[in-house]
Amino acid sequence: MLLCLTTPLNEVNLWVLGGVGLVAGLLGSMLGVGGGFIIVPILSLALNLPIKVAIASSLVAIVANACTAAGIYTKAKLTNIKLGLLLETATIPGAIVGGFAAAFIAPSILSAFVGLALIYVAYTMVTRQHFISTDTQPDDHLHPTEPSNVSNNLSSSLMDSYYDQNLNKVVTYKVAHLPTGLGTSFFAGILSSLLGIGGGIVNVPVMHMVMGVPMKAAIATSIFMIALTAATGAFIYQYYGNIYPFIIAPLTIGIVIGARIGVELTQKVKGLVLRRIFGVLLFLVAILMFLKTVNVL
Amino acid sequence: MKNAKWDEGSFKNWASLVFRVGIAVSLALIVIGFIILIYISGFKDIQPLVRLEQIPAAIVISIGILVLLLIPIAQVILSIAFFSMNRNRLFIGISMAVLCLSAISLILALT
Repeated sequence: MLLCLTTPLNEVNLWVLGGVGLVAGLLGSMLGVGGGFIIVPILSLALNLPIKVAIASSLVAIVANACTAAGIYTKAKLTNIKLGLLLETATIPGAIVGGFAAAFIAPSILSAFVGLALIYVAYTMVTRQHFISTDTQPDDHLHPTEPSNVSNNLSSSLMDSYYDQNLNKVVTYKVAHLPTGLGTSFFAGILSSLLGIGGGIVNVPVMHMVMGVPMKAAIATSIFMIALTAATGAFIYQYYGNIYPFIIAPLTIGIVIGARIGVELTQKVKGLVLRRIFGVLLFLVAILMFLKTVNVL
Repeated sequence: MKNAKWDEGSFKNWASLVFRVGIAVSLALIVIGFIILIYISGFKDIQPLVRLEQIPAAIVISIGILVLLLIPIAQVILSIAFFSMNRNRLFIGISMAVLCLSAISLILALT
């Protein structure tokens, strides 16, 4: 992790790196994503760092962001640790596969598919009425379908509850559609390592929309998972010598400060506002993905 | 879970503590390394490759990064301890699987 001599690098401005980390931490912790969708484009496009160095730096910064936010969310009992661990059994293999695949797959092809998926999810999150109404009627969508007999035991043990400050009540929920969640978690792991993102852009919508987890619990659980997933990806990038301490240090300091501010703001903002911001951000990321695909960026 | 020696609420408090202490330690190391770097090289555009005189700063920052990346793994170990005390075999197995998978990537990184 100390001396990396694989790629010729341009000089970088420490203030800019710290600023990128700050913004990524702020938005990432508010939306339950790692912030990689901000870090990777800026490092590779604005600072001209090689894409693999940008991804590796992003993954380490994401771990810092996720650990900071997870400490607060876990204390608030928002995190469903059992669900997070279960989904990680699929996400970590995905992260390992994605880390090794990064050397072989053309990123432009993958970016196009991801862009399409993001547009669909963003559209759904912003426009679906049942999705938007969950702030005032949280229990209505908590059991979208009864779990099958086979997974009934597991689903029951994943049941969790938390106190919602906005609703002033304890919200209890079950988890449904575990196989779908595990499948998409594997996909999220691949994306995380391949693109240097946390995987929250996949995990949060799936946990909320498909698995019936309330938005705030989905964000907190996603943050918990992102820490493990991004760390796994970072280890794989370290194996290829793409970790540079002097790039990561200012990024990490900035992202931790941003994450603390973001978590404080999250508790004062309603879930509906969060979802809409998240939806708009997904559209922006999708556009960036397409621009990258056609080599405009 | 009613008769559990270690209830889920306490477990989440401990998990939160591990996150907080871990991030504090790693961030302290990274900040100290960063200050050493600034002291050596000044606050200007910097070459990411480590020069000879910057090695002390790089070592401290690298240890901080390693501590940071080990926090989630420590969290999994804490989970194994919690589920073991509560004799929750299903989640002991799930946590062990996660730990083994994480260990594979860690071993790769250290080789």
